Amino acid sequence: MHGLPSPGLWVLPHDRNRLRRLAIGAALFGLQSPAVSAYTATLTPASPRMVYPQVGVGSFTANYLDGGKPGNNTAINTVSVTVAPGAVGTGVAQAMKSDSTAANSFLDGYAFCNLPGQVYIGGFYRTTGGATAAALVTATVPAALTNAAGNTIPFSKIGWTSSGNGDTGSEPFPSGTFVSGGVQNVGSMPSNTWNESCWAFSYLNNTVPPAGTFTGVVRYTLSSP
Amino acid sequence: MIRIGRRAWAAFFLAYVLGIIWAAPARAKTIQIDDSGSEALEPSVGMRWKSATPSHSSADNLMIGATTIRVRLNVTPWLRRSGRIYLNLPAQPPGPIALSWLTQGRLQAGQVQSGGRMLVYAGPITTPFMEDTLTFRFGVDGRLIQHAFPVNFHFEMDED
Repeated sequence: MHGLPSPGLWVLPHDRNRLRRLAIGAALFGLQSPAVSAYTATLTPASPRMVYPQVGVGSFTANYLDGGKPGNNTAINTVSVTVAPGAVGTGVAQAMKSDSTAANSFLDGYAFCNLPGQVYIGGFYRTTGGATAAALVTATVPAALTNAAGNTIPFSKIGWTSSGNGDTGSEPFPSGTFVSGGVQNVGSMPSNTWNESCWAFSYLNNTVPPAGTFTGVVRYTLSSP
Repeated sequence: MIRIGRRAWAAFFLAYVLGIIWAAPARAKTIQIDDSGSEALEPSVGMRWKSATPSHSSADNLMIGATTIRVRLNVTPWLRRSGRIYLNLPAQPPGPIALSWLTQGRLQAGQVQSGGRMLVYAGPITTPFMEDTLTFRFGVDGRLIQHAFPVNFHFEMDED
């Protein structure tokens, strides 16, 4: 932490004769370095990597701009639609609604998403260093939604459009359609930036499945480099 | 051909050396202070994000860390004189570094950016050593940090 002191001219009393003698000695035997005893503090990044993904509701102690810190939220939100008998299979997409209550961005409290038609998706990826690869957000999707009788609807019958109040340009989590079974990329987060979008899900409604309540669970994962 | 005797060489050499010596005080008014008696209370400074959360525009990436040092400055060479003591934080890798500190009162609190220095004491030197406990706080852009790195700083005296 601390450098060793080395002898040097700084210790000389301010006496001319003595100063001269010692100075000549220094010239003859090689100049001594002046007193060097600088501090060396080693700065070590502690917990330099942090991630916070949020799909639907999330947890923050307060908005970020008010000093809020992220927390864990284990809630699973549901997106659903009931298709009227006369509308089944017409090919007219059916807008889905969510039970998520997350309309505002935890960045600044801005009313970013419109409920109940949109689901908030966002978060950040903190890391040290300069240019780093973005963190990826993936969805692990079952092959199909199923009902109690074991009938299925392929997950690829559900898609989403991406936007956000006041947003311009491309969305970090763009519009898409689920795959029917598998892991798919749904967006990315450049390091040290806040990323957020609002997703409006819809059922494509271009087939006629058996009657029933069909359910399935999609898991979203944020993976940092 | 010009011949120069031994005595002339000696006189020349002495004049040359003395010239250096006499000229030195005029240029070297600032002298680094021996602080070898100081003691750091922590071996390293753990840096953490000032804000756990980044901003929308990637503008808030400050990492901060603090450490406490019992500073003991050997000011014997300036005893019974007056002087100004500065904390000097040289410019150094990995880039801009902010340093602020609090004291127990013997020295002045302050802050400095790398490449600069800040006054911590001005006045008479009445004791051989000046002691204080300083709490230092470092600030560095986290995007500049890859691994642990050293930061050097020192105290220096401007003689009145």
